[in-house]
Amino acid sequence: MTKLQELNLRSGLSLEPDPWAPAIRSVAQSGDRQAFQKLYAHFAPLIKAFLAKGMGPHMDRSAAEEMAQEVMLKVWRKAESFNGSKASVNTWIFTIARNTRIDFIRRSQRTDRTIDIEDIWHEADSPEPLVELQQRRVEAIVRRSLDTLPPEQALVLEKAFIESLSHNEIAEELDLPLGTVKSRIRLALNKLQILIDR
Amino acid sequence: MISYHPDSRFLTDFASANLPLSEAVCVSAHLEFCGKCRAHVQQLADIGGHLLSRLQPETLEPDSFERLMGRIDAQEVPGVKRDTTVEQATTGAKQSASAVLSAASHSRTESPRGGAVVALPRALHRLTQGGVQNLRWVQLGKALRVAPLHIDEDVRETAIYDIKAGGKMPEHEHRGEEITVLLRGSFSDAEGSYSRGDFLVRNAGEAHQPMATQDMDCLCLVSLERPVRPRSWLYRLLEPFVQHQLHKVATR
Repeated sequence: MTKLQELNLRSGLSLEPDPWAPAIRSVAQSGDRQAFQKLYAHFAPLIKAFLAKGMGPHMDRSAAEEMAQEVMLKVWRKAESFNGSKASVNTWIFTIARNTRIDFIRRSQRTDRTIDIEDIWHEADSPEPLVELQQRRVEAIVRRSLDTLPPEQALVLEKAFIESLSHNEIAEELDLPLGTVKSRIRLALNKLQILIDR
Repeated sequence: MISYHPDSRFLTDFASANLPLSEAVCVSAHLEFCGKCRAHVQQLADIGGHLLSRLQPETLEPDSFERLMGRIDAQEVPGVKRDTTVEQATTGAKQSASAVLSAASHSRTESPRGGAVVALPRALHRLTQGGVQNLRWVQLGKALRVAPLHIDEDVRETAIYDIKAGGKMPEHEHRGEEITVLLRGSFSDAEGSYSRGDFLVRNAGEAHQPMATQDMDCLCLVSLERPVRPRSWLYRLLEPFVQHQLHKVATR
């Protein structure tokens, strides 16, 4: 029985295999350029869109192209550290793009570098082995439930994760009290079965 | 047993990388102790991953892929594709986690004051050049010493507090939000008692007087929105001096 079948059996959920995981593994094992080109064709335009939306004044279109290349270069180099049982390729690439983005913003502010972004935001943060099953299950639910969120909840998640705004900045932009933003995000997280107690 | 965790606002702002650095360092330090919050952050990143995959793709420049492969070819020896920094970072993190764990079982005699090496969470490595023993401490009374951390663009003040076993901090009131992450030992105040890994938030206007437990020195990471004002007249008199000392150390 494969790991995935085992997970499906134990969780009573059908977890689909990650369509991009074999390509990443192939890049990791043999530097497979064809596999990498497929990944590039799919992810680089998405990353470019993500950076164009999330960097506001820091970014024009040609800079977004350069940065998307930067992110894909990291995907090429770090392919070996990808662990499909902990995160999907989507999530893994999101964390790399997210870290590249804050790194770029920090560099553009010419701050001295007493901190390495990756020391704070680890790309491959591993939960306890016990919760990995739960992890994959929640991911399947997130994928399925995102489309069913009420528009005002989908909007605040989009603002946070894609446009890169904090709770405070979302409150300011949408002219809402901070408490409202917080409760909208909490409601959305509950629907996605990300159950944070506080 | 960790009983106090960052709330959904901290975790979401952290996972979307929208949390200012000083606070992000605190959340990151807590995550090193707390598998449950690590799992939540991972799940929140899944939201990012799925939202990313649903974006309207932006057209790339025609030679985009070839240019990247050109860069890769220029930098790499054919057939060798190893990112050693990834491996180093991973082993480094593992080492630090186990070092922190073993530090927890140390007895009073091997306290940071005794000069033993105490490893800190990965987020603090660079800021502290690797350990408590390398920090620049300012002694504030008998029981407390403070090492300011210089986190550049931040408006907050970040520091490591070391409270001697059984020692009391001066009672103080917060003029802004204060985050405390317990790195080692435990302490209590009128609200409760806290142990290693706990992530505490005190808001403006709340006053408290933390006291370290008798058996072990207590090491905390603290992020302050604004300086804390001690209540007693003595400390109020001391404060300008203290601020001056901290400032000197921070800018040295």
